Amino acid sequence: MPVMSTHLIIFAPAALHREAWRALLKDQPSIVIGGVLADSARLAAVLQPDLPTTLLIDLPTPQPEVIRSLKDSGPKLGLLVLVQSYDLSEIIPLLKAGATGCISRDESVGDLARAIIAAGRGEIVLPPIVAVQALTALAHGEPVGSANLIEPLTEREVDVLRLLAQGLTNKDIAQTLILSVRTIDAHLRSIFAKLDVRSRTEAALWAARNGYGPEK
Amino acid sequence: MSRTSVAVLGTLAEFHREPIPYNLSALVKLVTELHPDLLCLDMTPEQWQRREFDDLPPEYREGLLPLANQTDIVVVPIGEERALEEPTASGGRGRVITLLRKGLGLLQRSAPGPTAINEGWRHHVANVLYDTIARLAGNDIRHAWHAHITHLTRQILEVVRRDPGCRVLVVVNVRHCHHIRPALRKHPEIDVVSYLQL
Repeated sequence: MPVMSTHLIIFAPAALHREAWRALLKDQPSIVIGGVLADSARLAAVLQPDLPTTLLIDLPTPQPEVIRSLKDSGPKLGLLVLVQSYDLSEIIPLLKAGATGCISRDESVGDLARAIIAAGRGEIVLPPIVAVQALTALAHGEPVGSANLIEPLTEREVDVLRLLAQGLTNKDIAQTLILSVRTIDAHLRSIFAKLDVRSRTEAALWAARNGYGPEK
Repeated sequence: MSRTSVAVLGTLAEFHREPIPYNLSALVKLVTELHPDLLCLDMTPEQWQRREFDDLPPEYREGLLPLANQTDIVVVPIGEERALEEPTASGGRGRVITLLRKGLGLLQRSAPGPTAINEGWRHHVANVLYDTIARLAGNDIRHAWHAHITHLTRQILEVVRRDPGCRVLVVVNVRHCHHIRPALRKHPEIDVVSYLQL
């Protein structure tokens, strides 16, 4: 079965930054560069709706309004924002505006490549400890489904849910349980159905509120 | 019953330690294209957990582990606790082993790419040379190799039973390939395929 590469679009106003990202990422496995943008108005022209796509956003100061506008242009896009540090006061407004995740400029190329792939799948991309804090902050006032399950979770689904609630990406969950990422995807679909939630954020919040979250 | 595709790819790992021309990027490109779900490597779970890669062969340390780190490929450490000793012997047997190792080194140096040692005459010659070396080194080495192969096979089987239907690539020293493949074929849930068919 062929593996679908993640389509990457680079959005950076500075020409040197665009070229630097392109040069750094063009040979990364499982990533195909689909376009570089200096102006977000051209986004629609480079979008390929059937492919998992991540928009890498390199702005000097990423503003929530810009993220919101990009999300409106491509609702299924993974929006990965480069940040100086994992400062929750900066990250939470970006996530609320529609960012899929944030990655610090201090991370390695390998971490960036994994983040691009995960964001393309719509996963929350943040270091686990930051992800848990971000989820808690996002939880205020959001409905996360009933505590009653439609069907009991299997032992394996409980393992996956606990790791999801710790802010792990699908790849990290797969590596922890020594299962394929595809199998984790299947478990998550089943978990979402049993929890009657629509997203991993809701599932993680459900887990945190029903005793499956990380220990304090 | 869902059958799981398993391909076993051999490398001449010990020769990658020597300063001979070998382009690891060709192996990385091959595994990138195969893009298995699970990548079984002959390293211990402890080495993996502690990220202690210094003692691992370069094709793991510099090629496959960085690749897995950047992609969705999940690493499965299937090695034994104790590292396998390289065969040695004294006197004439030792000299023959040295000669045969030179033959293996020549096979590695002359291979046009990472697939060469897994196909055609090179694969069979490498197997014959390794078998002969094991015989010359004595029963202890042969038993140790046999035990190691049994362990690797059991680990692969466990992986397949835990996650049936996924695509598994096993990358081990070529000397184990001829023994692991038939051992895996005995299990109906496993479909042993060529790496080209994974």
